Amino acid sequence: MKKIILSIAVVLISLVSMAQKPEYYEPMGETLGQFSSVKSVADMQELGNKFQMIANAETTEWLPLYYHAHCYILMSFMEQDVAKKDSYLDVAEKSINKLIEMAPSEAEVFALQSFYFTGRLVVNPMERGQEFSALSGQAIGKALALDPTNPRAKMLKIQMDMGSARFFGTDPKSFCPQAKELLASWDNFKPKSHLYPNWGKDQVEGIVKGCE
Amino acid sequence: MKRTVISIITILISLNVFSQTIIMGKVSEENGDVLPGASAYLKGTYDGTTSNENGEFKFKSNKKGQFTLAVEFMGYEPFSRILDLKGDTIRINVTLKEAFNQLNAVTITAGTFEAGDKKRAVTITPRDMVTTAGAAGDVYGALQSLPGTTTNGESGRLFVKGGDSEESQTYIDGALVSVPYNSTAPNMATRGRFSPFMFKGTMFSTGGYSAEYGQALSSVLLLNTNDMPEEDQLDLSFLMVGVEAAGTKKWNSGAITGTLSYNNLKPYMRLVPQNYHWTNEPESTNGAISFRQKTSKTGMFKFYSSLDNGNFTVRQKNLDAGGQLTDYQLTNDNVFMNASWNDKLGEKWAINSAASFTNNKDDIHFDQTHVVKKIQANYLKSTLSYPFSEKFLLKFGGELFAKTFSQNAQISGVTHDNSFTNHTFSGFTEAQVYASSKFVTRIGARVEYSDYLNSFNFAPRLSTAYKITEKSQISLAYGWFYQNPVDDYLLYTDHIKPERADHYTFSFQSSANERIIKAELYYKDYRNLVKLTSGEFYLPTSYNNSGSGYAKGLDLFWRDKKSIKGGDYWISYSYVDAKRDYRNFPHEAIPSFTSKHNLSIVYKHWIGSLRSYPGINFKYSSPRVYNDPNSTVFNGEKMLPYRSLDVSWSFLYRQNIIFYFAANNITGFKNEFGRTYASSPDVSGNYQSSAVEPSSNRFFVLGCFITLTRRGNANQLDKIN
Repeated sequence: MKKIILSIAVVLISLVSMAQKPEYYEPMGETLGQFSSVKSVADMQELGNKFQMIANAETTEWLPLYYHAHCYILMSFMEQDVAKKDSYLDVAEKSINKLIEMAPSEAEVFALQSFYFTGRLVVNPMERGQEFSALSGQAIGKALALDPTNPRAKMLKIQMDMGSARFFGTDPKSFCPQAKELLASWDNFKPKSHLYPNWGKDQVEGIVKGCE
Repeated sequence: MKRTVISIITILISLNVFSQTIIMGKVSEENGDVLPGASAYLKGTYDGTTSNENGEFKFKSNKKGQFTLAVEFMGYEPFSRILDLKGDTIRINVTLKEAFNQLNAVTITAGTFEAGDKKRAVTITPRDMVTTAGAAGDVYGALQSLPGTTTNGESGRLFVKGGDSEESQTYIDGALVSVPYNSTAPNMATRGRFSPFMFKGTMFSTGGYSAEYGQALSSVLLLNTNDMPEEDQLDLSFLMVGVEAAGTKKWNSGAITGTLSYNNLKPYMRLVPQNYHWTNEPESTNGAISFRQKTSKTGMFKFYSSLDNGNFTVRQKNLDAGGQLTDYQLTNDNVFMNASWNDKLGEKWAINSAASFTNNKDDIHFDQTHVVKKIQANYLKSTLSYPFSEKFLLKFGGELFAKTFSQNAQISGVTHDNSFTNHTFSGFTEAQVYASSKFVTRIGARVEYSDYLNSFNFAPRLSTAYKITEKSQISLAYGWFYQNPVDDYLLYTDHIKPERADHYTFSFQSSANERIIKAELYYKDYRNLVKLTSGEFYLPTSYNNSGSGYAKGLDLFWRDKKSIKGGDYWISYSYVDAKRDYRNFPHEAIPSFTSKHNLSIVYKHWIGSLRSYPGINFKYSSPRVYNDPNSTVFNGEKMLPYRSLDVSWSFLYRQNIIFYFAANNITGFKNEFGRTYASSPDVSGNYQSSAVEPSSNRFFVLGCFITLTRRGNANQLDKIN
């Protein structure tokens, strides 16, 4: 009962706030919709710029900044030039540090931070493996402590565990049951609004596919 | 009435629709290149776009009145201009200036090998110090794979650019380390006292260094210890020669690590053939505590303290007593403390303070001689820096170095006591000025006063760097460097002045895609070198500053982590031409510690399927000279060339268990470091001699490193992999 009231309240609050600021919710939703059409680093940067613009206009909202950082992390994964990867992550780092101040109790922020550390690690796994896998693991730990049900934190944890299993020659497939369970329960997690982070299902599907 | 109002509103609205303002233009760099991907928007609105591949942007806005157009792109200074939106088309071309960013800006590279900054292209990382075959986990051993250094197998110390080993200083977290090497017998190689695992970053400067560093004629090695550990852990190391346990406890803003180790070379030396005869193989016990505490959001306090005891007895030929084997017994006790505090004072001021304390005692028995040498040294330095702007940093500070050296020698029942105490007070200031992100100049000066020698010096320093292209730069360094004469002379005289070397360094460096090439030309002018004018070394008047010398050469360095997948290699070559007239030299001559040609080739390869990181290192130094007192030519004899092929293999057995194997000189090249002679001739007028050999032809290390954490998957990858 309590739960129902709570969820109704959440829905109401989000509806109310949406009604209050259509000029924020509409372009945000529209910009989010453009994620699916990104084909290149330049497209992703264009998208990131839009979120930056919204973030500049809406200084109290953390979500535009979140997506801005997300775009730049994804750019570092898409970019082929090693030297550029770090410069994108430098941009992401600034936004993430701001995010942690704006929304210190938001699990999504720390899940994204973990993703960011993984980005740093990927640039040079031999040199950075030790330090950044620890940092990434700590960020996941913070995210799961704030919200043990956060599917993105769970997904990143499975990815990381499988990665280090592969590196150390143990069987990464031992994490497959976890991945399958996460995929099956993915849709149980309801983002607080349609603007909240909702990515990661594709990646879990990929992991599960790799298990077969 | 109502209708009128409505129609007016309708008109107004439609007018509004038809009077959209179009804002368009082009974004380019100062040099005219277009900038795609820049963000152009009206501040505080959602109206904006991104520039296309031609740098062009175009967007519409329904807004009216004054708004600020912002154009931003990462790595460039943001542009903004107030526009009056009236429903027409506004054309505006925007030129963005490259933002000044110290990370991307040119850095002074003449004479320096810097490592540890994660984002910068680095030449040698702390991890390299551990994984370089041949280094066997010794900081100084690893540095000998870099250009500018000459391997002296009978010493193990650093010899840089035609300089003697005393001309190099080591600093930990900004504080001078007075006794950086372990104590050994004459002509026996030593190692550094500190484990490379302690350090996160290093800077090895082989010339032209900052005014912050004095009392070094040739080089400074700056070691920065690890910051906060990631979590609680227990590290266990088992080596053929000893065991070590280190426990780390972390809390919110600090951490403490306690380390205990015990080494005994007896079992190993019984197993592997040795060139020396040991009565008691080297044994050492070490305890250390390292503490770190964040003092504020930006501040960090570090403290390190260690207690060392080592002893051995080796049988050496007593050439002054007919060459019979005689026990050389040494016991060393060393106490070392090092503290540092770095923080910001207010918005802009930054303070770096460091202190160290050393108490070192060597107790030596050889034949009828018993010598006790004691060093007590205190060091204190504080540096303040103030950035007037991003492009102008001013730094100044003071330093106090107090040292007491005493020697008590009992020779055949007669006691000789000698000691000296010196205080060196220094002040320095330095300004670093960026004319642009392409051109930087560092200008500074240092003053020093040593009370024991009653001498005052002024030492100017100047270095610059200029970026010729995105990837390449040239750098110049010039300076005067002073250093007090060696302790063994100061024991007997205060009639001498500090020695001086002037450095002229020109370097070129180019790096791209994990490849780096560096070439450096240098000239060093030595003056005021101390000369010993007679055999009566105990007379203060036997010494003067009339010596001089020079060293010039070329250093080449090439590192490539890119061309071979999983592979990483570097090649160092140094050419040195050095001569000097100092100490007991009868005239100017090539000193025995320099090799004309020095080559080091290092290769490492990660083999994923075997979870292994093997490495190989080949070293060559052309023959050095040595003096045979039986010959009329001073320093006229040549040693064998130095050659060594070293291998190492790290194997990650589990996430937290690493096995490590290393072998030096696997092919068994014969290395010999000249001959050592009796101090006086025998009855037939000949000086007796014996060959100086390494302690063994080959050297092996086999070890296992285990890390235990709560998380269960950390390892000492940084250590050994």
